[in-house]
Formats: sequence, C-alpha cells, structure tokens
Amino acid sequence: MSARKPYVRKMSKTSWFLTHARFKSYMLHEVSSVFVALYMWLLIDGLFRLAKGPEAWEAWLSFIKHPLVVILSLIAFAFFIIHTTSWFKAVPQAMRIQTGEHFVDGKLIVGGHYVALGIFSLFVLILAGVA
Amino acid sequence: MQIIDADIVIVGAGGAGLRAAIAVAEADPSLNIALVSKVYPMRSHTCAAEGGAAGVVKANDTLDYHFNDTVSGGDWLTDQDAVELFVNEITKELIQMEHWGCPWSRESSGHVAVRPFGGMKIMRTWYAADKTGFHMLHTLFQTSLKYPSIKRFDEFYATDLMVDENVSAGCTAIEMRTGEMKLFRGKAVIICSGGAGRIFPFTTNGAIKTGDGMAMAYRAGVPLKDMEFVQYHPTGLPGSGILLTEGCRGEGGYLLNKDNYRYLQDYDLGPATPKPVLKSMELGPRDRLSQAFWQESKKGRTVQGKWGDVVWLDMRHLGEKLINERLPLVRDLSISYVAADPVTDLVPVRPVVHYMMGGIHTDINGATPVAGLYAAGECACVSINGANRLGSNSLGELLVFGARAARFAVEHAKSVKAPREALVTAQAADAEGRIKALFKRTGGKQRVAQLRREMNLTLEEGCGIYRDEKSLRESVAVIADVRARYRDVALEDKSSVYNTDLYQTLELGAMIECAEAVAHSALQRTESRGAHQRLDYVERDDKAFLKHSMAHYNPNGDPRIDYLDVTITKSQPAARVYGAAAGGQAA
Amino acid sequence: MSKRNIQLEVLRYRPEQDREPVFQTYTVPCEEEWVVLDALNYVKDEIDRTLSYRWSCHMFVCGSCGFKINGEPKLGCKAFLRDYGDKIRVEPLDNFPIERDLVVVIDDFVDKLQSVKPYIIPKEEKSVAAGEYIQTPAQLKTFKQYSMCINCLLCYSACPQYGLTNQEFIGPAALALAHRYNMDSRDVGRSAREHVLASHEGVWECSFVGACSIVCPKDVDPAGAIQQAKFTSAIDYLTSMVGIGGK
Repeated sequence: MSARKPYVRKMSKTSWFLTHARFKSYMLHEVSSVFVALYMWLLIDGLFRLAKGPEAWEAWLSFIKHPLVVILSLIAFAFFIIHTTSWFKAVPQAMRIQTGEHFVDGKLIVGGHYVALGIFSLFVLILAGVA
Repeated sequence: MQIIDADIVIVGAGGAGLRAAIAVAEADPSLNIALVSKVYPMRSHTCAAEGGAAGVVKANDTLDYHFNDTVSGGDWLTDQDAVELFVNEITKELIQMEHWGCPWSRESSGHVAVRPFGGMKIMRTWYAADKTGFHMLHTLFQTSLKYPSIKRFDEFYATDLMVDENVSAGCTAIEMRTGEMKLFRGKAVIICSGGAGRIFPFTTNGAIKTGDGMAMAYRAGVPLKDMEFVQYHPTGLPGSGILLTEGCRGEGGYLLNKDNYRYLQDYDLGPATPKPVLKSMELGPRDRLSQAFWQESKKGRTVQGKWGDVVWLDMRHLGEKLINERLPLVRDLSISYVAADPVTDLVPVRPVVHYMMGGIHTDINGATPVAGLYAAGECACVSINGANRLGSNSLGELLVFGARAARFAVEHAKSVKAPREALVTAQAADAEGRIKALFKRTGGKQRVAQLRREMNLTLEEGCGIYRDEKSLRESVAVIADVRARYRDVALEDKSSVYNTDLYQTLELGAMIECAEAVAHSALQRTESRGAHQRLDYVERDDKAFLKHSMAHYNPNGDPRIDYLDVTITKSQPAARVYGAAAGGQAA
Repeated sequence: MSKRNIQLEVLRYRPEQDREPVFQTYTVPCEEEWVVLDALNYVKDEIDRTLSYRWSCHMFVCGSCGFKINGEPKLGCKAFLRDYGDKIRVEPLDNFPIERDLVVVIDDFVDKLQSVKPYIIPKEEKSVAAGEYIQTPAQLKTFKQYSMCINCLLCYSACPQYGLTNQEFIGPAALALAHRYNMDSRDVGRSAREHVLASHEGVWECSFVGACSIVCPKDVDPAGAIQQAKFTSAIDYLTSMVGIGGK
C-alpha cells in the first residue's frame, strides 16, 4: 500500500476572485457589465416608447432626464468606456493580422478601432443633429 | 514486487528514447514498449540543445565532406564505419522530423535553412532558431502520443539492469510518487539516459544529467568507452554555466580577450576576417577554442572581474533584427543572467563542461556486449564523436542511433525466448534489498552535498581542459575516497513519496562511478588528443593510442582499463587543419 | 559578490505526517545574482534534505520548476532575487493536487495534452524520400509562437476556469498547442481536433481572464490562441451548418 495522499486544494466558488488582484479587477469588470446591460435595456425601452406614440415618448424623455437616471447613465457611460478600451485592447490577441512574415502591430489594430469608433460616433452625432 | 512485462524496455525519454520508442512502434505495432524515465519526457535535457542538427542537404555539400569534418573533428578517434552510416542516415531523419512537425527555420523559398557551425566545412546545420533541441524533443514527444503501443512510465527512477547469462532481461525502477520498486521484464532494453555532465561543478547540463544509465550498464559489466573525452563548450555564461549556442559564432559573433583582440588568430585558427569563414577562428572546433581560452588565461589576457576569468562574446555587429530572429533565447538569457544585452553589450563567457564523448560501449547497431542491451544518445559511445564532438552532431546522433538501436532491438526481441523467471526475480529482489538497506542505514556521517562538491572540484581541477599525471592521480585518489565515504551516507528523508533525498543519493552513486571511469581513463591515456590534453604528453600518439579506452567496473577497487582498436576505413590519421588552410566556405 | 539573508517560506506537505500543508521558514544566505531555485537548492543541500521539488535545466526551457512565488506563478529559475524583498514565499502551483511539498500531480495535464492530438495529421502520408514539405517563413510564423510552450503549467496555475471546473477545462497550454497544429500548413487535422476543442470543456469554457498569457514565461499567449480558436470553431460550425465543411 502506497503512502500517497495527494492534497487537493478546493477553490471556493464564491470567493475565489478575492485571492488575487488580477481576479478582483476581472470580476469588477464582469460585474460592471450589468450597468451596461441596464443602459442597453433603457435604450431599447425608449425605442418601444417611440413606437407607441408621442405621449409615451415624452414620458420616457422626462424619465431619462431625472437626476437619478442621469447619474446612473453617467456611471454606465464610464463603464462603457472601460469595456470599450478593454475590448479594443484584447482585439490584437484574438485577431492577428499577418502580412508576410510579420504581424500587424497590435497598436495599429487598436488605433484603427478607435478611429472607427470616432468616425461612427461623429456620424451618429451628425444624424442626431448635435454636431 | 509488481512485474511489468514489455517486449522492449527503454530507459530514458529524451530525444534518443522517444525516437527509439517511435521506431519500435513503427517497426511492429504489436510489440509492447515500456518507456521508463525519471522525468516527464519534455523535461529531458535534449530540450536545452540550442544550435541545430547537421545533415547534408544543400547542393554544394557532400556526404564525404560531413564525414571528413566529423572524423578530423574527432581527432581520428571516431569509428569511421559508424560515421559513414551516420552521415548517410541523418538527413533522412531530419526530414522525418520535418514531417512530424518540427518547426525548422526556413529559407524564403520554403526549404529548410542551414547555418554555419564549428568545425564544419559547409553550412549544413538545420536549426529552429536557437531552440532546436527543445523543438525536436517536443515534436518527438507529441508525435509519440500517436502510438498506443508506447506505454510511458514517467518519473520512474531505473536502478539496476537484470542480466541473465550475458542476456539482458529488463530493469528495476522505483516509482517516484509511491517509492515502490517495479520490475520491468523485457526481451530487449535500450538505455537512452543521457550524459553525466553533473559530475563537474560548472556545466551546461541540467540537474538530471547524472549518468544513471551509464553507471547502470557499467555495473552490469558493460565497459564505458572513451570516458576521458569530456567536451568543454567555449561559450558558457559565467556563474550559472548556461549555454550560449555555437550559433552565436555561426551567425558571426567574435571572441575577444581583455584587449578586445580576436585572440583565436594566435592559435592556428586565423586569419581573422570580419565575416565568418567556416573551420576558421570562432568557427573552429570546440576543443581548440576551449584550449585557446585556457592558454589566454595563463598569459593573463582574459578579463578578470565580477565574473571571474572570462572573455567577451561580441555580437553587437549582428544587429537587433538578426539576434531577435535567430538568437532570441541567447538574448533573453544574457540579459537575465549577466545583465548584458548582446545587441548593445559584450557578453562575458568562458568554457563550460557540456558533453561526454564517451559512454556505454556499443557497436554500430547500438548493441552492447550484453545481448539484448542497447544504448543510444549521449549515454552511448558508438563512436561517431571520437575525441571531440562537432557541434550539431549530437542531435543527429540521437535520432540516427536511437532509431537504429530500436530496429535491432526489435529483431532481437522477436528472436529470443523469455529469460529465466526465477533468476530475474532474484536479481530484482537484490536491487530492492539495496534500497531497503539504504533506508535502514542510520547515523551516516557523510552528506550528499559535501561528497558531490568534493567530486565536482577534483574533476574540475584534475580532469579539466588540460590535465597531467599529478592532477589526475589526485583526482583518482579523491574519487576513491569519496566512493568509500559514500557507503556511509544515510538518508535523512525516510518518506516513500517523492523522496528526492533518495534519488539524489542514488544519482551521486552513479556520478561517482562515471567520475571514476573518467579519471582512470584519462590517467592511463598518456597522449594528447582532441578534448583530452595532457600537459605532460603534449603529442598525439597514434602508435599507442589510436584506440578506445574501455573502463570495466570493479566493485572492489579501481576500474580495469583496456583498449579497443579504432575502426579506420577511408581516412588515415593526419594533422587536424583549421584556419585558412582548411578551405572552409565563407559563411 | 554580495550576500544577503532571505527568509524563504516554503509550503511543506509530507503526506505521511501532515494532514494539510504548512509553511516552513528557512533562513538562506543568498548571493545577489541568485534565482529562487538557487535558494531552494541551498536549502536542500545545506539545511533540509527532506524538502522536495522538481528542477533541471536552470535556463527557462525544461519547464520543471514552476512554483507560486509570492502569489504569482513563476519559474524558479527565472525569479531573480534582485526583484524580491528579504522575505519570499514559495508554494506549489495552484489547481493541481500536491503530491509532496512543491511537487504537484500533473497527470491531468498530460492526459489533456494527448486528448488534443498534438501531432501533424497530414493530408496523405509522405515518404522521407519525397523530401521536406515546403513551408515559407510566413507560414512558419503563423504558428511558431504557439509551438514555444515548455509545459511548465504556470498558465494552469493562473487560470481560474481550470480550478473552478475542477480540472474539467482543457486549459491554456493544451488548447494553444491544438491551435498550433491547426495553424500549421503541413496539417489537415482541424476537424479531427474539433470535437475536443469545441466541446463543453474546450475553448468555449475560456472566459478570457487572460491570466495565462500574463504569467507565460515564453510569451506563447495561450489566451490569444484560444480566442482565435473560438473564431475558427464558430466558422467551422457555421460552414458545417450550410454543408461546406472546413479544414
């Protein structure tokens, strides 16, 4: 009979992410997506209201102007920025572009995304009559 | 004791062991293979080989050139039939590696690229950046996973060979995680357990290179051949002994002394041209370059300082792009270990023990004098390396002779009947008894680390780049003393689970046996040849010593050394010529 | 060469006497140039013969000496003392059972490596006499990075998915290796590997924490490989839906 007795360290399903700063920031990032989802839901709701008629639309507009909703929107916006940057940052890893013996510099790919984001945002702002 | 029956038992799962296992599996899938190794295959030291593997492939090259380079590089102590076979076979093996996925570096045409290497007249060294051994090992390991007949026993430490009337019958090995001894019964055994560089204090070799397989065969009555020929690689990092590949010089790196002078031109290796020329200067053979360092040091022209006695390896003129592309590991290691970036700084280097030309005596088929016992790779001495191995011949050797030994082992296994069971079982019980006795021993006054240190030091001082009778007699005496005191080592760790005190103790025993063969063989070879340089016998003596030294184990005292003629076929011994007269190609 | 004393806190586990792992502190007189592995070797040689750990090459290539050093998976031979204070904590890698002291049981990884068929599956057998495959430097470049893995398992230690799934997840190194062969111009085995890669334990189990790529001592970027494999896996799925099959 062997004296082997391998020791298995169980990983806590609920608090594992507290064991390393890297996991904490990962979890914060994941949890923050709730705000992003909520804001998306708010926008979709606005679309439905618009379809319902002018009264519903006006009610929705005044709802989103409520100071609490504005604060929540700002928080969501901040998280949008974080998610956008982290997503863009990950793109070169997930999508390598090879030209001959070289890969396109990750910074160029990330930069391209920001440029595209800028152009698209500008387009939306012009459509909205803001810019 | 659990018995594991296999048709073929392979001890060691590095390059040679894996290649042998695949060769057996391909030759006959019905044969059971037990691949026994004290480490997981990918930890084997083949992974540390950097520079490449030589094989004739380009139009300007011929098999004769490779043959001549190897024979003269080995100072005519090579067996020429073996070298001829080797140069004929190696390119096929390298192509086979390519088919198995080895990521060889390529020319823009998509054909494999070759690089210049020391002592080679033509560029013929295939490489995968500066991690050739690593890629070969992983390619072989991953490919081996295809074959169901290869059963691996990872982390099993082999202790003894079972031999029944000069016929090999298997081996015993301890399962490291349980401490249990197992008997592997096999019709043939192939030892592929690597070299014994750790007998020296300053070596490129990893911790596992302790000569276990060499010692196992030695104790079983197989002679160790040409053990006095120990290769010093000219460019190791001081302190750690980490290898900087010969590729550094192949790509055009310079060796400079303290006056920033390319000193090799003073040792019949010149002229010093800015661009590398094969067989000249920095692309001379390893023995000559390491000897030149020693001479420079005696003249007080090496660099003294923080790193001790060193010379400079200058790669600055190669440029960042080339260094990153072809020598990335070298750059990483230099920056990490000696804070010198080859792109901008001179890198301190010095000779470091790298390879054992000698080893288990085999014939051209990898067969030892014990029927059914084979050996291949660094642990074996076929001999294609003679008195000095050329860089990039060892990765080739483990492929060619790993596969070849396997094919002959298959033939043998098919032809023999099973060994006598009772006798083998009794031998295994003896082997187990010795381990049990070691566990029971108490009050031992000797410490493993202390004995190892004494053995290491005496080999460096007595059996280094240059030796003489006085230094060798001193080494012989110290090793005998260490061997006697080794019997008084007791284990401090009595655990049966992954007891590294036990394995280090057994490894020390193996190293002492290898060290003894090195020192005695060196003492009795009263000539200078290749890597064996005697200050008291400075000339090569073909009359007396165109012979292989054969060290025979003696359980009660000094080994007996006798000699075996070298096989000469088409190249008569001559002067070794390097530098301008060698006619090497511009690299 | 300057010396300094390091307090080396090592997690010990001796199955015959310990119910659970405990820390043991050694005071080690270290040279400034040393790595953590050198300090462990000093302990083994001069202080405590009973300490067990794996090591061999001392040059970042054999992959034996992966430990958790001050909470971060590292190679012992690549953890330079100059980067640490006077107190260093060494533990076995996370997410593997501890066999003994710093030695972990890696059977699971070895099985997973085999499961992804990490070898060339050629279109048709090619004889050695037919010579080598033509592979341009660009084609080599496509997979080369993913062939650099030394199986040190730092990535498995860093990967929370591997731990949270109780070793069900195939994990970074094995998936990156599968991707390496999928990307090799000599290989047509993508469909043979697909059922493993696209399985529940395969690439889709990865939540892209990215820790594997951060700790990798060889810059293999397994996280990147896995995301790329997700992409090809999705494409293969879609093309098989419309019946035009992939590689």
